[in-house]
Amino acid sequence: MISEVLLWNAIIGGVVFGAVYALIGCSLNVLAGVLRVINFAHGEFVIAGSFFSYALLNSFDIHPLVALPICAAAFFFAGIGLYYLLVPRLAHSDEPETASFLLMFGVSLMAVSVITWIFEADIRPMNFSFEPINVTLFKIPDAYGPGRDGRVLVPTARLVALVVNLGLIAALTWFFYRTLPGKALRATTMNREAVQIVGINIHRLSAMAFGLATALAGITGVLLALVVPSIDPNGGPDIALVGFIVIVLGGLGHPVGALFAGIIFGFVEQFSNLLLPQAAAQMVGFIILVAVIFVRPEGLFGKGQLK
Amino acid sequence: MARKQKKKTPNGKWEQARTILEMRDVHAAYHGDISILNGLSIAVNENCITGIIGPNGAGKSTALKTMYGFLHPSKGTIALDGRDISNLPPYDMMANGIAFVPQNRSLFNDLSVEDNLRLGCWQFRSDRRKVTRELEKVYGQFPILKEKRSDLAGSLSGGQQRFVELGRALVVEPKIIMLDEPTAMIAPKISREIYDFIATLPGQGITVVLVDQNVRQCVNVSDYIYILDLGRNRGEGTAATFAHDEHLKEMVADWLDYQID
Repeated sequence: MISEVLLWNAIIGGVVFGAVYALIGCSLNVLAGVLRVINFAHGEFVIAGSFFSYALLNSFDIHPLVALPICAAAFFFAGIGLYYLLVPRLAHSDEPETASFLLMFGVSLMAVSVITWIFEADIRPMNFSFEPINVTLFKIPDAYGPGRDGRVLVPTARLVALVVNLGLIAALTWFFYRTLPGKALRATTMNREAVQIVGINIHRLSAMAFGLATALAGITGVLLALVVPSIDPNGGPDIALVGFIVIVLGGLGHPVGALFAGIIFGFVEQFSNLLLPQAAAQMVGFIILVAVIFVRPEGLFGKGQLK
Repeated sequence: MARKQKKKTPNGKWEQARTILEMRDVHAAYHGDISILNGLSIAVNENCITGIIGPNGAGKSTALKTMYGFLHPSKGTIALDGRDISNLPPYDMMANGIAFVPQNRSLFNDLSVEDNLRLGCWQFRSDRRKVTRELEKVYGQFPILKEKRSDLAGSLSGGQQRFVELGRALVVEPKIIMLDEPTAMIAPKISREIYDFIATLPGQGITVVLVDQNVRQCVNVSDYIYILDLGRNRGEGTAATFAHDEHLKEMVADWLDYQID
């Protein structure tokens, strides 16, 4: 019998991590949909965001929450620079998707090298603090026997990260569904040729999309550093894999799909950690990935055809 | 027969109009290898309807795509009002007063009809008053679209989708509109509506370039017709010339399986 407290912890963990995964999925989706770029280096961009926050904290004593907008702006412009450096060359390829995969794999390898060169290969702790350290969400009376109440705690940093995260997702959804530039980005996913027919400069729009996705990756990194206050320079591939599971699950190019898929994956991960042996728990995500590809290749929320 | 009488054949109209868009000896290829246009020359006169016909694979659609910048000529020039536009990208064409409705569907299916039209107004999106005015104009021309403004574009019938595409091309008040098979796969009744609409465009100061498989319709509505084959010019003339020139008549009958009388 699993204690009620652990169950609640898994639920809260599922939401907190799920929201981070959703954000990773959203930004991968922007790239896949608008640019047809499969960003293998996304995990490294996220890690770079974490280290960006780490460096600001250690060198200038800037709190991660303050670092968030700085990181977003820096990564946005870095992303635009990277776009003009890399992506237009992909257009000369007969298979831009495959070429992008290889290209971004190369970028990912270089990014890891640069990160370990600057920060060395050790896992770094993030030394920031919130007052209070934990927030008691509620008490469960007699959870550990008569008179011994259980408390469901969540670290304040995680709670803050969750709130910021959900706010961002709401803002993104508003941007994609309510503003003309957002609709133009979605339109690019639907019909690339027609976007140019209506006179939209596809290169400028794509550069914006790349900047946006990179900024989101940086923000994700800062939030991840709040959720798990230790940064592993080699953690990129794991993050990218979670991102790929999320976009396959949610439907490629479907912004809202990524949100639900992220939360679903967060729950699945937390509950399999709770209920299954550790070795088995790590497989569950990939079992879902394979199952979705077999049963519903367009994703849970996708309705179109997957190329 | 009734349609023939309705048709205006202002013979002098084409000759008197000035050339606004001109393709001269254009060669173009996809991905640098498969050559589609092999020295094509087309002149488009202002406020006229220029028809382009020819058998399948003649390069009609490619000619339009090249004019619109999706392909760039490897040889030859495309001039708008005497200015070379051969190397402009497609997204700069609207700003130069050229609109394009391609053969394959060009709507954003998961956006509403109104959003599709609003994206058509991208060039002047910050001018809200103008956007509203242009949308009202489109709704006036195609009342059904006003009714369906909130529906997803992909849920509309083929004919209605064509209306959205035409409306979206016209919101920028283009000088020239290029139409690629505007009535392909569309019910005959709607086709007629679309042709009647196209015929009104020159009167509104809009020059039309029309590519069509439907030779009869194309010849009926056009002021001047080009016949293409294998990416080259094979014949040209006004509708009246076609009716008298035995050589042209024969060519059309042979290749296009259509009798001009």
